[in-house]
Amino acid sequence: MIEFGVDTRDDGIGVVTPEGRLNMVSARRLKEILSELVANGTTRIVVDLGETSFLDSSGLGALVGGLKSARQAGGDLRIARVSPAVMTVFELTNLDRVLRARESVEAAFDD
Amino acid sequence: MTEPIAARSVTALESRLELSAPATPEIMDLVHVMLEHLWGTASGISDRDRVRFEMSVIEILGNVVEHAYAADNVDVPGHEGRRFEIVLGVTDEALMAHLADNGLPTALDLSGVAMPDELAESGRGLALATAALDELSYERVEDRNLWDLLCLRVSSD
Repeated sequence: MIEFGVDTRDDGIGVVTPEGRLNMVSARRLKEILSELVANGTTRIVVDLGETSFLDSSGLGALVGGLKSARQAGGDLRIARVSPAVMTVFELTNLDRVLRARESVEAAFDD
Repeated sequence: MTEPIAARSVTALESRLELSAPATPEIMDLVHVMLEHLWGTASGISDRDRVRFEMSVIEILGNVVEHAYAADNVDVPGHEGRRFEIVLGVTDEALMAHLADNGLPTALDLSGVAMPDELAESGRGLALATAALDELSYERVEDRNLWDLLCLRVSSD
Protein backbone atom coordinates (compact mmCIF):
# COMPACT_ATOMS: atom_id res chain seq x y z
CA MET A 1 0.00 0.00 0.00
CA ILE A 2 1.01 3.60 -0.47
CA GLU A 3 0.09 6.91 1.07
CA PHE A 4 0.52 10.37 -0.35
CA GLY A 5 1.44 13.44 1.63
CA VAL A 6 0.15 16.60 -0.10
CA ASP A 7 1.13 20.02 1.20
CA THR A 8 0.95 23.48 -0.32
CA ARG A 9 3.65 25.73 1.10
CA ASP A 10 3.31 29.44 1.90
CA ASP A 11 5.22 30.29 -1.28
CA GLY A 12 2.56 28.46 -3.33
CA ILE A 13 4.69 25.43 -4.17
CA GLY A 14 2.89 22.11 -3.85
CA VAL A 15 4.81 19.23 -2.29
CA VAL A 16 3.63 15.68 -2.96
CA THR A 17 5.27 12.84 -1.05
CA PRO A 18 4.48 9.28 -2.18
CA GLU A 19 5.28 7.00 0.76
CA GLY A 20 5.85 3.40 -0.37
CA ARG A 21 5.78 1.78 -3.79
CA LEU A 22 4.78 3.70 -6.91
CA ASN A 23 3.43 1.00 -9.19
CA MET A 24 0.49 0.54 -11.57
CA VAL A 25 -2.09 0.93 -8.81
CA SER A 26 -0.63 3.90 -6.96
CA ALA A 27 0.49 5.73 -10.13
CA ARG A 28 -3.18 6.34 -11.00
CA ARG A 29 -3.67 8.08 -7.68
CA LEU A 30 -0.52 10.16 -8.16
CA LYS A 31 -1.73 11.24 -11.59
CA GLU A 32 -5.05 12.39 -10.08
CA ILE A 33 -3.33 14.29 -7.27
CA LEU A 34 -1.02 16.11 -9.71
CA SER A 35 -3.93 16.97 -12.05
CA GLU A 36 -5.99 18.31 -9.15
CA LEU A 37 -3.12 20.49 -7.92
CA VAL A 38 -2.58 22.04 -11.36
CA ALA A 39 -6.33 22.47 -11.93
CA ASN A 40 -6.56 24.31 -8.61
CA GLY A 41 -3.79 26.72 -9.57
CA THR A 42 -0.76 25.07 -7.95
CA THR A 43 1.47 24.90 -11.01
CA ARG A 44 4.83 24.64 -9.26
CA ILE A 45 5.10 21.16 -7.76
CA VAL A 46 7.87 19.22 -6.05
CA VAL A 47 7.47 15.45 -5.87
CA ASP A 48 9.49 14.34 -2.86
CA LEU A 49 10.67 10.82 -3.68
CA GLY A 50 12.56 10.43 -0.40
CA GLU A 51 9.92 8.03 0.94
CA THR A 52 9.38 6.17 -2.34
CA SER A 53 10.85 2.68 -2.20
CA PHE A 54 9.94 1.52 -5.70
CA LEU A 55 9.11 3.12 -9.04
CA ASP A 56 8.04 1.53 -12.34
CA SER A 57 7.01 2.80 -15.77
CA SER A 58 3.49 3.67 -14.58
CA GLY A 59 4.99 5.90 -11.88
CA LEU A 60 7.26 7.50 -14.48
CA GLY A 61 4.22 8.06 -16.71
CA ALA A 62 2.37 9.82 -13.89
CA LEU A 63 5.37 12.09 -13.25
CA VAL A 64 5.75 12.94 -16.95
CA GLY A 65 1.99 13.64 -17.16
CA GLY A 66 2.25 15.97 -14.16
CA LEU A 67 5.31 17.67 -15.65
CA LYS A 68 3.49 18.36 -18.92
CA SER A 69 0.33 19.72 -17.32
CA ALA A 70 2.33 21.89 -14.89
CA ARG A 71 4.39 23.35 -17.75
CA GLN A 72 1.31 23.93 -19.89
CA ALA A 73 -0.12 25.96 -17.01
CA GLY A 74 3.07 28.04 -16.81
CA GLY A 75 4.69 26.15 -13.95
CA ASP A 76 7.00 23.18 -13.55
CA LEU A 77 7.33 19.86 -11.76
CA ARG A 78 10.55 18.84 -10.07
CA ILE A 79 11.66 15.76 -8.23
CA ALA A 80 13.74 15.70 -5.06
CA ARG A 81 15.48 13.29 -2.67
CA VAL A 82 15.68 10.42 -5.14
CA SER A 83 17.16 7.20 -3.71
CA PRO A 84 19.82 5.28 -5.69
CA ALA A 85 17.28 2.49 -6.35
CA VAL A 86 14.71 4.85 -7.85
CA MET A 87 17.45 6.79 -9.69
CA THR A 88 18.31 3.58 -11.59
CA VAL A 89 14.86 3.66 -13.21
CA PHE A 90 15.29 7.30 -14.29
CA GLU A 91 18.69 6.49 -15.77
CA LEU A 92 17.52 3.40 -17.66
CA THR A 93 14.80 5.47 -19.33
CA ASN A 94 16.97 8.57 -19.87
CA LEU A 95 14.34 10.53 -17.98
CA ASP A 96 17.04 11.82 -15.64
CA ARG A 97 17.63 14.45 -18.34
CA VAL A 98 14.00 15.61 -18.40
CA LEU A 99 13.39 15.31 -14.67
CA ARG A 100 16.67 16.29 -13.05
CA ALA A 101 16.80 15.11 -9.45
CA ARG A 102 17.20 17.85 -6.83
CA GLU A 103 18.87 17.21 -3.50
CA SER A 104 16.25 18.82 -1.31
CA VAL A 105 12.57 19.75 -1.46
CA GLU A 106 13.30 23.23 -0.09
CA ALA A 107 15.81 24.12 -2.82
CA ALA A 108 14.06 22.34 -5.69
CA PHE A 109 12.84 25.61 -7.21
CA ASP A 110 15.94 27.69 -6.42
CA ASP A 111 17.17 27.65 -10.03
CA MET B 1 12.59 -19.39 -30.00
CA THR B 2 13.74 -22.99 -30.11
CA GLU B 3 16.80 -22.63 -27.90
CA PRO B 4 16.47 -23.79 -24.30
CA ILE B 5 15.55 -20.90 -22.06
CA ALA B 6 18.07 -20.64 -19.21
CA ALA B 7 15.74 -18.69 -16.96
CA ARG B 8 13.16 -21.48 -17.00
CA SER B 9 15.39 -23.65 -14.80
CA VAL B 10 13.86 -21.62 -11.97
CA THR B 11 10.83 -23.90 -12.14
CA ALA B 12 12.99 -26.79 -10.87
CA LEU B 13 14.81 -24.92 -8.09
CA GLU B 14 14.17 -26.40 -4.69
CA SER B 15 14.13 -22.97 -3.03
CA ARG B 16 11.79 -21.38 -5.61
CA LEU B 17 8.76 -19.30 -4.62
CA GLU B 18 5.49 -19.82 -6.50
CA LEU B 19 2.17 -18.00 -6.66
CA SER B 20 -0.97 -18.62 -8.67
CA ALA B 21 -3.49 -15.79 -8.48
CA PRO B 22 -6.11 -13.76 -10.36
CA ALA B 23 -4.47 -11.26 -12.73
CA THR B 24 -5.53 -8.03 -11.02
CA PRO B 25 -3.52 -4.86 -10.40
CA GLU B 26 -4.01 -5.24 -6.64
CA ILE B 27 -2.20 -8.59 -6.59
CA MET B 28 1.04 -6.86 -7.49
CA ASP B 29 1.66 -5.89 -3.88
CA LEU B 30 1.79 -9.59 -3.05
CA VAL B 31 4.52 -10.09 -5.67
CA HIS B 32 6.52 -7.24 -4.11
CA VAL B 33 6.27 -9.13 -0.80
CA MET B 34 7.44 -12.35 -2.49
CA LEU B 35 10.46 -10.48 -3.83
CA GLU B 36 11.24 -9.16 -0.35
CA HIS B 37 11.17 -12.73 0.87
CA LEU B 38 13.40 -13.82 -2.02
CA TRP B 39 16.11 -11.36 -0.93
CA GLY B 40 16.20 -13.16 2.41
CA THR B 41 16.78 -16.58 0.85
CA ALA B 42 20.25 -15.75 -0.51
CA SER B 43 23.07 -13.60 0.76
CA GLY B 44 24.88 -10.84 -1.06
CA ILE B 45 22.30 -9.84 -3.69
CA SER B 46 23.41 -6.32 -4.62
CA ASP B 47 21.01 -3.40 -4.44
CA ARG B 48 21.37 -2.78 -8.15
CA ASP B 49 20.43 -6.37 -8.98
CA ARG B 50 17.43 -6.19 -6.68
CA VAL B 51 16.22 -2.99 -8.32
CA ARG B 52 16.57 -4.14 -11.91
CA PHE B 53 15.02 -7.53 -11.19
CA GLU B 54 12.08 -6.28 -9.11
CA MET B 55 11.32 -3.52 -11.59
CA SER B 56 11.42 -5.95 -14.52
CA VAL B 57 9.19 -8.53 -12.82
CA ILE B 58 6.63 -5.84 -11.98
CA GLU B 59 6.79 -4.41 -15.53
CA ILE B 60 6.11 -7.79 -17.12
CA LEU B 61 3.37 -8.59 -14.63
CA GLY B 62 1.88 -5.13 -15.22
CA ASN B 63 1.92 -5.89 -18.93
CA VAL B 64 0.13 -9.19 -18.31
CA VAL B 65 -2.51 -7.54 -16.12
CA GLU B 66 -3.06 -4.54 -18.38
CA HIS B 67 -2.71 -5.78 -21.94
CA ALA B 68 -3.30 -9.52 -22.04
CA TYR B 69 -6.81 -8.98 -20.70
CA ALA B 70 -7.65 -5.68 -22.33
CA ALA B 71 -10.02 -7.05 -24.98
CA ASP B 72 -11.09 -10.00 -22.89
CA ASN B 73 -14.55 -10.43 -21.45
CA VAL B 74 -14.04 -11.87 -18.00
CA ASP B 75 -17.62 -11.24 -16.90
CA VAL B 76 -19.21 -13.89 -19.10
CA PRO B 77 -20.94 -16.42 -16.80
CA GLY B 78 -19.07 -19.70 -16.74
CA HIS B 79 -16.05 -18.06 -18.31
CA GLU B 80 -12.88 -19.10 -16.57
CA GLY B 81 -11.26 -16.23 -14.71
CA ARG B 82 -7.98 -14.90 -15.97
CA ARG B 83 -5.05 -15.91 -13.83
CA PHE B 84 -1.29 -15.90 -13.81
CA GLU B 85 1.39 -18.01 -12.21
CA ILE B 86 4.77 -16.72 -11.17
CA VAL B 87 7.90 -18.59 -10.07
CA LEU B 88 10.82 -16.70 -8.56
CA GLY B 89 14.24 -18.04 -7.67
CA VAL B 90 17.82 -17.13 -7.01
CA THR B 91 21.08 -19.02 -7.52
CA ASP B 92 24.69 -17.97 -6.97
CA GLU B 93 24.75 -16.74 -10.56
CA ALA B 94 21.33 -15.32 -11.30
CA LEU B 95 17.91 -14.05 -10.32
CA MET B 96 15.18 -15.73 -12.36
CA ALA B 97 11.45 -15.43 -12.91
CA HIS B 98 8.95 -17.42 -14.97
CA LEU B 99 5.49 -16.02 -15.59
CA ALA B 100 2.58 -17.78 -17.27
CA ASP B 101 -0.91 -16.47 -17.97
CA ASN B 102 -4.00 -17.60 -19.82
CA GLY B 103 -4.72 -14.20 -21.34
CA LEU B 104 -4.82 -13.13 -24.96
CA PRO B 105 -1.73 -13.69 -27.10
CA THR B 106 0.73 -10.82 -27.08
CA ALA B 107 1.94 -9.95 -30.55
CA LEU B 108 5.35 -8.52 -29.99
CA ASP B 109 8.93 -8.70 -31.08
CA LEU B 110 11.14 -8.05 -28.07
CA SER B 111 14.08 -7.20 -30.30
CA GLY B 112 12.13 -4.22 -31.62
CA VAL B 113 11.20 -2.72 -28.26
CA ALA B 114 12.46 0.85 -27.98
CA MET B 115 12.20 3.58 -25.37
CA PRO B 116 9.44 6.01 -26.38
CA ASP B 117 9.70 9.78 -26.68
CA GLU B 118 10.94 11.48 -23.49
CA LEU B 119 7.56 13.08 -22.82
CA ALA B 120 5.50 9.96 -23.51
CA GLU B 121 3.31 8.94 -20.59
CA SER B 122 3.27 5.22 -21.36
CA GLY B 123 5.05 2.56 -23.40
CA ARG B 124 8.22 2.33 -21.32
CA GLY B 125 7.49 -0.93 -19.51
CA LEU B 126 8.92 -3.53 -21.87
CA ALA B 127 11.76 -1.23 -22.90
CA LEU B 128 12.69 -0.83 -19.24
CA ALA B 129 12.61 -4.58 -18.61
CA THR B 130 14.65 -5.24 -21.76
CA ALA B 131 17.25 -2.67 -20.71
CA ALA B 132 17.44 -3.92 -17.13
CA LEU B 133 17.57 -7.69 -17.69
CA ASP B 134 20.25 -9.92 -19.15
CA GLU B 135 17.62 -12.15 -20.78
CA LEU B 136 13.94 -11.68 -21.50
CA SER B 137 11.93 -14.07 -23.62
CA TYR B 138 8.27 -14.45 -24.53
CA GLU B 139 6.46 -17.30 -26.20
CA ARG B 140 2.91 -18.47 -26.72
CA VAL B 141 2.42 -22.16 -25.88
CA GLU B 142 -0.98 -23.88 -25.87
CA ASP B 143 -3.14 -20.86 -25.06
CA ARG B 144 -0.71 -19.52 -22.50
CA ASN B 145 1.72 -16.63 -22.57
CA LEU B 146 5.10 -17.60 -21.10
CA TRP B 147 7.65 -15.05 -19.98
CA ASP B 148 11.17 -15.85 -18.74
CA LEU B 149 13.36 -13.27 -17.04
CA LEU B 150 17.00 -13.59 -16.08
CA CYS B 151 19.28 -11.17 -14.31
CA LEU B 152 22.91 -12.24 -13.90
CA ARG B 153 24.19 -11.29 -10.46
CA VAL B 154 27.00 -8.80 -10.28
CA SER B 155 28.90 -7.89 -7.14
CA SER B 156 27.97 -4.65 -5.41
CA ASP B 157 29.71 -1.63 -6.81
